[in-house]
Amino acid sequence: MTLDNLLKTRANMEERIRQLIGRAAMVIELDLFALPCGCSGYTANTRGLALDDLEVFEEHFLKQLKESAEAVGVSPGFVFARIIPGTQEIAALNVRELCPRCYSDFAATSGKRPRPDIYIFHLVKRKR
Amino acid sequence: MKKKLYVPHPGHFEGLAQLLASSKDIYSIYMAGSPDYIGTGRVNLGHASLEEIAKHTQYCHNKGVKIEMVLNSSCMGGQQLTTEGYNLLHWYLSNLEDIGVDTVVVADPYLVEMLDQEFNIPSVVSVLAFVDSPQKAEFYEQLGASSIVVDSNVNRHFDVLEAIKDAVDCELKLLVNEGCLYRCPFRYAHFNFFSHVNGPPPRPNVQDDYYYYKCLTMRINDPSLIIKSPFIRPEDLEEYAHITDVFKIGGRSHLLNWILNCVDAYANESYDGNLMDLMDCPKDLIDLFNIPNKALDGAIQQWKTHSTVCHTCGYCQRLSDKVTQMYSRMGTPDEKLEQWTTLTKKGIDTL
Repeated sequence: MTLDNLLKTRANMEERIRQLIGRAAMVIELDLFALPCGCSGYTANTRGLALDDLEVFEEHFLKQLKESAEAVGVSPGFVFARIIPGTQEIAALNVRELCPRCYSDFAATSGKRPRPDIYIFHLVKRKR
Repeated sequence: MKKKLYVPHPGHFEGLAQLLASSKDIYSIYMAGSPDYIGTGRVNLGHASLEEIAKHTQYCHNKGVKIEMVLNSSCMGGQQLTTEGYNLLHWYLSNLEDIGVDTVVVADPYLVEMLDQEFNIPSVVSVLAFVDSPQKAEFYEQLGASSIVVDSNVNRHFDVLEAIKDAVDCELKLLVNEGCLYRCPFRYAHFNFFSHVNGPPPRPNVQDDYYYYKCLTMRINDPSLIIKSPFIRPEDLEEYAHITDVFKIGGRSHLLNWILNCVDAYANESYDGNLMDLMDCPKDLIDLFNIPNKALDGAIQQWKTHSTVCHTCGYCQRLSDKVTQMYSRMGTPDEKLEQWTTLTKKGIDTL
């Protein structure tokens, strides 16, 4: 993973989102992260993207987010969007490799909106 | 044109020294104080203590530059009317008076009257008091205001500006580069939110600024909203000479080079670059849009006589379609600029 690759992945993601929704949108920041709990992944802060866009083009978004995950070396076990609760505004698209504790929190939930601020595209449930 | 430019403090003393060393066109610096006493309606890079305010004031005065304190919270939660609130405000303003600041900007009429009655500091009515009519301007002047920053929503309503000029004798000041949406529906709620975030505790711990995100989304979808925003281009200052010679450059959350670029542009009344370089807000769109400032030459003549009913006029929409360019693949070797209308005409590609 190089910084050039990260810059290119941000640009690719932004370009594909624009092509997909047919209008401008911004990926204003693409961050790789590691948390103390053991979760790791990437966060793409977006502007100009609405919940409707995700619902209409869900499979295309998921494909794009998985491709970006591969490009930056993140396993796409948990793919979700963060929404400003009560609104159409998408704050960020996220791909996360969950730690055991966070996995058990999310795996115990059901549906696409386990919390008002989260829209789940994809969660790989592990075998018991 | 001879003019007085009010310029944002870059947030730290070294920055102030560099700013004043780099430009001779600054009439006054403006800065917020400590949010623990009176809030302010915008984000700041620094929170100056009274000792720091005294140091900065003395430095500015030694350089022949005035200093203005911006205490323009649009909401104080009613605390200002309590006994404790009054005592705290009175103590803080007394300190500012002792320090010798030149002016204090406030948004609450109560503070305009308090400054007039109990202090020897000229009060400036903030743009966040939304003075957009001669009647409101008269009210504030009668309350004791020495200067009024006119609501930027009427920056292109020359009939209103001229009526305000006729109605009052106090100084009028125009905010040139705020870049907010024309008749912004979020304005009151957003500034009240900022006032609490940048004011005395308890401060809300907010992850996402809904109003800012929504503002960005609206402009990303429709860049004509940027053209419609009531900024004043550096080239157009002369058109306002019969209203005022006092202009305020917004940008308290920006770094030194950005401030200097704006000061140069407005001092020279010319800027050959991206209009977005000059806009205080919204910052993020500088990475999306290129609107060549010089391509807007002459638009002021339309704006001076324009209809304010956008859907029947259409001038800004047409101008935006013609001049707005959009960046793609920024930050990579393939970075390019294309006309905004190119993308919207492409339609949807479902991969």
